[in-house]
Amino acid sequence: MSHLITRVALALCCGVWLAASGPTLAEEATPEPKPLKLTTTADHTKFKQLQKTFNSGPEVTKACLECHTEAAGQIHRTKHWKWEYLNPETKQTLGKKTVVNNFCISIASNYASCTSCHVGYGWKDASFDFKSEENVDCLACHDTTGNYKKPPGFAGNPVVKDTEFPPGSGKIVKGIDLTKIAQKVGKTSRDTCGACHFNGGGGDGVKHGDMDTSLAAPTKEVDVHMDAEGLDFTCGTCHSASSHDVAGSRYSPTAQDKAGARVRGKADKGNPATCVACHGNGPHKKEARLNQHATKIACQTCHIPTYARGGVATKLTWDWSTAGKRDKDGKHITLKDAKGRITYESRKGDFTLAENVKPEYVWFNGRVDYTLVTDKIEKSEQRTQINKLGGSASDGKSMIWPMKVFRGSQPYDPVNKTLVTPHTAGNDDTGYWKNLDWDKAITVGMKDSGHPYSGKMEFLKTEMSWPITHMVAPKEKALGCVECHSKDGRLAGIQGIYIPVRDNNRLVDTAGWAIVFLTLLGVFGHGALRIVTSRKH
Amino acid sequence: MSERIYVFKLFERFWHWSQAGLIIFLMLTAFDIHGTYTIFGFEKAVAYHTIAAWTLIGLWVFAIFWHFTTGEWKQYIPTTEKVVAMAQYYLFGIFKNAPHPFRLTQLRKHNPLQRLAYLFILVCVGPLLWITGGLYLFYDKWAAWGLGNLPLEWVATGHTVGAFMMLAFLIAHVYLTTAGHTPTAHIKAMITGWEEVD
Amino acid sequence: MKFTKTLAAGAILSVLASSAFAYDADWKRGRVYYRSVCTSCHAVAPSGSINPSTKTKAEWAAYLKADKHNKGKDTVKQYVSKAYRASIKSGNKAAEKFADTPDQELMDDISAFLIKGAKDGDAPATCS
Repeated sequence: MSHLITRVALALCCGVWLAASGPTLAEEATPEPKPLKLTTTADHTKFKQLQKTFNSGPEVTKACLECHTEAAGQIHRTKHWKWEYLNPETKQTLGKKTVVNNFCISIASNYASCTSCHVGYGWKDASFDFKSEENVDCLACHDTTGNYKKPPGFAGNPVVKDTEFPPGSGKIVKGIDLTKIAQKVGKTSRDTCGACHFNGGGGDGVKHGDMDTSLAAPTKEVDVHMDAEGLDFTCGTCHSASSHDVAGSRYSPTAQDKAGARVRGKADKGNPATCVACHGNGPHKKEARLNQHATKIACQTCHIPTYARGGVATKLTWDWSTAGKRDKDGKHITLKDAKGRITYESRKGDFTLAENVKPEYVWFNGRVDYTLVTDKIEKSEQRTQINKLGGSASDGKSMIWPMKVFRGSQPYDPVNKTLVTPHTAGNDDTGYWKNLDWDKAITVGMKDSGHPYSGKMEFLKTEMSWPITHMVAPKEKALGCVECHSKDGRLAGIQGIYIPVRDNNRLVDTAGWAIVFLTLLGVFGHGALRIVTSRKH
Repeated sequence: MSERIYVFKLFERFWHWSQAGLIIFLMLTAFDIHGTYTIFGFEKAVAYHTIAAWTLIGLWVFAIFWHFTTGEWKQYIPTTEKVVAMAQYYLFGIFKNAPHPFRLTQLRKHNPLQRLAYLFILVCVGPLLWITGGLYLFYDKWAAWGLGNLPLEWVATGHTVGAFMMLAFLIAHVYLTTAGHTPTAHIKAMITGWEEVD
Repeated sequence: MKFTKTLAAGAILSVLASSAFAYDADWKRGRVYYRSVCTSCHAVAPSGSINPSTKTKAEWAAYLKADKHNKGKDTVKQYVSKAYRASIKSGNKAAEKFADTPDQELMDDISAFLIKGAKDGDAPATCS
């Protein structure tokens, strides 16, 4: 009996053991939990709307809008869509649609090329429908594959099938797989913003100087915040967006931020993209004196010692007046420097480029007045300022800011005394880049922008200032005192402020050394006399 | 015939030499900051200059206390007595081996010209340097102190003027140490405390 | 018998799971690791530079599959492993940052970057 009990007990125990060990064995064989996407709450590959072949950008957008019903409307309100901006301070209507610069000059009549950087599809001429929802380009900003491309010449459309472009050129633009891209949409990144902003002015690093492809995955030396192996900020970390409207603007920059560090919950309409927005107004813990410096000097001035530090050269000058030369066979010429950078192109003229460029410094209060195509310009020895920066030592709103100043010469109508908007890009018989004929190019371009052209053209020397604010260096690389506290230092041209050493009083120095010299002379004279006379006695 | 009198007490001598060292170091760093030459470079020179200045202030706190508790401050009360005689001695007498018109004692250890010179340093050059230097140090506090409109240029220029006067004084002072009973008598006195007098 | 069944079921499950929930390779992480770790040796000196765009997609796939680094003297995997990352992390920020990333995930990331940046890839990449 007892034997039986023992047996039953044993069997029970075995059963329990088996029951317990069964799942254990199964668990060992079960795979690790599925990888969880922590960057998003939605895996877009699972959405039926995206599981199809897309043949155009607008088809993708329609699918996006099925869920994100308000997104296009939000985009419609932004500069990224409108390319139009009313500066509340100067009342000037700006934006890419309107302004003229001294790079590729203007988008008028060049839409199909320029709008490859528009967050829309199909802006090929002035008739573009800005109310269209399906023409909003979601992928330009939300692609994560890095494969989304909008080649110039296609009016902002991606190319889905291998296409010869320009037609007859034999050059093939590779088609991209929109389905794959649409299924992988995600947050914006340095790569998406950079697709346009790193390449402003027609190429890598050309325009800004403090933004180029080296910021896609930069080292700490290049940008202490975006450091891919460190803090890894995206553009949106500072340029935070609300309802698709991205903060921060070069049309009306925040030159001085007195609001201090932003605290969540605090009512605040300020610009979240300033240094102060995170660091506050007294960020130097060890040296209080530096906080005093920071009341007059923008953070960027000391903390961005040079721009174009990532190995990509930026363009510093562009002389359109030398464009148009042909070789003996009548073909376009391209000249390169020792590093393979283009320094002359028949269609564009002469360039200079450089890396690790020291900025120029100016008083800047955030006001920017543009010289528009409607403004009268008297030609003079002085360069015409494409964007005139406001600021002085005494207005209480200005800080000393680093600038990239881009200088060039560009077409000008000496009769109407205005800048002109030439037709440059385009595979037609008036585009300057193909035909090298200014008269045709300007006539067509000015007609498109709706301004009179006298038929006469000259070249006007211009300059344009670009505030330097990216490529913040690690603190050890910030400028040393002597960079400014010296004769002919970095701030040699800054007026209206006393900088020790730079502004040592010459009269005091001369008089002081004279007194010291006379004292020495007296002392030596007296001493010598004493020696001489003591020998006599 | 000469006798020895104990002129400079131990603290006084310590004060003198440490102050001399600090002032020379302050001069050295000052003209480095000023851009006259580069030894430490602006940034380090400013740091060292600041440390030396605070050290000197500390020393002065003790020195002032000492002068008042011992009554030695009276040594700096100016007098017109024998000023002309002293000037004449330095201008003429010294070359003719004429007798020194001033005979120092423990109660009058500085000759009348010295008194005037030291008083000028104490009342004019010193305060000029301390006030401008202090303002320079606390540049970041000006707005809080209600000095927001004070031009930095005035402060900087004032400090430089003071520095040149101090340098000129230093040169003359060092030279005149040789104008005692013997060329080294004054220096010895400042080291040992004892001075030989006629 | 039961034991074998459990094992088989587990194996099938894991195969299913891995295909259904495949790791979604992050080419950007691959980019950072490649640029920081691989190119720390594969620069012009001493070993000669190797850019993603020096090989085609097929060549990269074959190279990674063969897993022969330094002409077969060691493996590619070894330079992606946690152990290797731990050994260099004091002097290499990328290795430190991705110290805890599973080996296979990081390998997939690098592979994604190389395929993408290959000579015939979607975005041919050079590392300057």
